Amino acid sequence: MYRSCILVTLLVLGGCGRTQSPTTEVLVSAAISISEAMQHAAFEFEVASGTTVTLNIGGSDTLATQLIAGANVDLFVSADLRQMNRVELDGGILTATKVNLLSNQLVLVTHGDNLREFSGIGDLADSNIRRVAMGDPDAVPAGVYARQFLQVSGLWNAIRDKVVPMRNVRAVLAAVEAGNADAGFVYRTDVRLAESIEIAVAIPAGNGPEILYVAAVTTNGPNESGARQLLDFLRSEAATQIFEDYGFIVLNGGVP
Amino acid sequence: MNSDLLRVVVFSVGMATIATIVMLPPGIALAWLLARRSFPGRTVVETLVTLPLVLPPVATGLILLRLFGRRGFIGKWLDQFGIDLVFTWKAVILAMVVMGLPLLVRAARNGFEQVDPRYEQIAATLGATPIRVFFTISLPLAGRGVVAGSVLGFSRALGEFGATVMIAGMLPGTRTLSTSIYAYTQTGQDAPATVLLVAAAAVAFSAVYISNRLSTTGV
Repeated sequence: MYRSCILVTLLVLGGCGRTQSPTTEVLVSAAISISEAMQHAAFEFEVASGTTVTLNIGGSDTLATQLIAGANVDLFVSADLRQMNRVELDGGILTATKVNLLSNQLVLVTHGDNLREFSGIGDLADSNIRRVAMGDPDAVPAGVYARQFLQVSGLWNAIRDKVVPMRNVRAVLAAVEAGNADAGFVYRTDVRLAESIEIAVAIPAGNGPEILYVAAVTTNGPNESGARQLLDFLRSEAATQIFEDYGFIVLNGGVP
Repeated sequence: MNSDLLRVVVFSVGMATIATIVMLPPGIALAWLLARRSFPGRTVVETLVTLPLVLPPVATGLILLRLFGRRGFIGKWLDQFGIDLVFTWKAVILAMVVMGLPLLVRAARNGFEQVDPRYEQIAATLGATPIRVFFTISLPLAGRGVVAGSVLGFSRALGEFGATVMIAGMLPGTRTLSTSIYAYTQTGQDAPATVLLVAAAAVAFSAVYISNRLSTTGV
């Protein structure tokens, strides 16, 4: 199935654009951080509906730029509300279809071999925790969120000298995995990327920053009805199960 | 290596090969013009050709997207004929050609500059047409530069990431070695990323090795 969908995609792309089969294919631009879960959900949708789903993945900013340039995308799933707003301002999405699809959660992780038990986030101030890895608290969203949370918890001044700023969440995972950092802040969905990593403290969604994945049907795409069907499917019971398996929090349109 | 990864390798090498073939005629023409002729706007042409080498690749991709997107200056015109470049293999080629061309032109131009103009003049006095002079004297004598430039252009095309990701996206049908390695590392799939990395290194090594062999044995 997957193989044949790639073949079909190649054939269609090899022709003159995607205009030849407007009703049997949906092109989705999805943030890279949900690409695997989307691939999984899209496969289930293909089986159920017979509509082919083609995924274009990338950073949310790149996807937004492509849409604004007029790319033939049917559905946009952004990991960043600001990028969705950028496209909306340009008239690129059907505002009525915009929906808060998923959320994510900030977690403190340690190496699985680390016998030390965390009783709470306050343990970060202990002297045997020497380095805490996080995304650059001035630039990388995950790091900005972590700093905000620590500031609100009144812990920031106590641990700021232990902070090791990293370029992205993948680097934080690598540092904790290699033992170069005693603990690190990542998203819940990242934890399954590294086998030896375990969640020490999960930041309660209410206390943490609001992390949103927003979806909307675009105005550019040739297959609006297909995009609406897929968006409905992404909010269905079956898709909820898939997203939860990947560690996402399913919002069903509401705000956390 | 599973079939998905193999497909990415074959696709990338194929695209980079086509891109190199596409950039050869304009690349050689530009290299010859810049080496042998002075004309109005010569510096402007030279700067424009070099620009993709200096600009961040993402910026070049952004410019290409603005030009070739359906709302773009060129994209609007192509749209009338039902041609949409963005998100297709044609966009992959476009990004590769634009990024590889500066390297081809630089090396080929060096090649042409090292050809003694007297050989060309002698051929002309013996009655050869300018086109015949070019194909029988200038181009063969500049051969090493052209070959070296082609290999550089091919290598740059193979490694191209920033512009490709902008204009070709990362769809199943447009994934190259570079964009696949990026996608795999970003989603924590280190094993396929490593396989592709080794494949990319092997192809790059072969290309450079072959070019070195060609230039030592003489072309």
